[in-house]
Amino acid sequence: MPEGDDLVAAEYVLGVLAHRERLLAGNRIETEKAFAVQVARWQEHFDCLSDDYQAVEPPVALKSAIDRRLFGEARAVSMLSLWSSLGFWRGLAAASVLLAAIAIGREFIPLSPQSSSGQMVASMEAAGSPYKTMAVFDPSTDMLRLKMMEGDMPTDHSMEIWLIADNGEPVSLGLMKRDGPTEMPVKPAMATRIRDGIRLAITAEPMGGSPTGKATGPVIASGVVRAI
Amino acid sequence: MRDRAAFDALYRATSAKLFGVCLRVLKDRGEAEDALQDIYVKIWNRADRFAITDSSPISWLVAIARNHAIDLLRARRPVGDLETAGEIAEPSPGPERNAVAASEARQIDRCLGELDPPRADAVRGAYMNGETYEELAKRHGVPLNTMRTWLRRSLIKLRECLQR
Repeated sequence: MPEGDDLVAAEYVLGVLAHRERLLAGNRIETEKAFAVQVARWQEHFDCLSDDYQAVEPPVALKSAIDRRLFGEARAVSMLSLWSSLGFWRGLAAASVLLAAIAIGREFIPLSPQSSSGQMVASMEAAGSPYKTMAVFDPSTDMLRLKMMEGDMPTDHSMEIWLIADNGEPVSLGLMKRDGPTEMPVKPAMATRIRDGIRLAITAEPMGGSPTGKATGPVIASGVVRAI
Repeated sequence: MRDRAAFDALYRATSAKLFGVCLRVLKDRGEAEDALQDIYVKIWNRADRFAITDSSPISWLVAIARNHAIDLLRARRPVGDLETAGEIAEPSPGPERNAVAASEARQIDRCLGELDPPRADAVRGAYMNGETYEELAKRHGVPLNTMRTWLRRSLIKLRECLQR
């Protein structure tokens, strides 16, 4: 009875179901796609009402308690999956302040709040490589920012950033800075090529970058650009 | 550790809002604090599932918090029939009314505005406070079945309006 189902979905979102009915509905969300979609649609309708909830600062000690539960012992929480989750990035993008703080760290140049939409991120890594890098591209300014999240910059090589063209050919975007995050303007002709789905890669090249203009060294990290 | 930094930033930006939700629904500081802990653990563990939803992050987080708080509320106070529902302390939802005036643009408000005011209040109160049919019936001084009918009809009207 789809009509009734949709009402149950609405009642679930509204919160009026009694304990048992609510548990049943909760189970159905997990197991019945159609019902879950109905619930999601109602939730979306009602989302704006949540603006009316007044924010109240929780006690400071609460954060420590949560930290203990999450990070108390060496937990095998897969940060990797979190970092590679498009939804996670998209989510953070909506609060661009967050994106700046999380993706890049406080020392990195904060993304301008007004350019929170249309930005692109790539979480770059490679199997067997100790390097993990975040790239953020802002099409409104054509600035590409990269930060090495894991791994130390080698002293005997340069890290070169490449855009992998549709024909598979890498095109150099420049070198990563040795210290701190890299921020580089991308030429308009190249900037238009940085779009959702395109791959960026980093290779280890001789000091000063590839002498031939083509990637010569091993790929130490790569990742697909995602619009957030 | 970068994962902690990520979590810290997320917490800083969202914890007051989510705590506000817990307090409003649970109306008990201790319980709200416990709930908030559980909520962030849940959020952390379910961050991946976010990928399959389309809602904005804060909506997603608020929905998780609100659902968790309502689950606790229901578990704490299993409501039978109206006679055993107990006393309801929640005052009428005044502040939202004012908020509404300030944001006519919201579609949900426009559609709630098409309902009779007491019914719109019931819908709004249910959402904001996590009230059950029983509690709503009591607060509005109508029989349980009347409230159920009110609300369901209101939801059907709302759906028509929201789909326009």
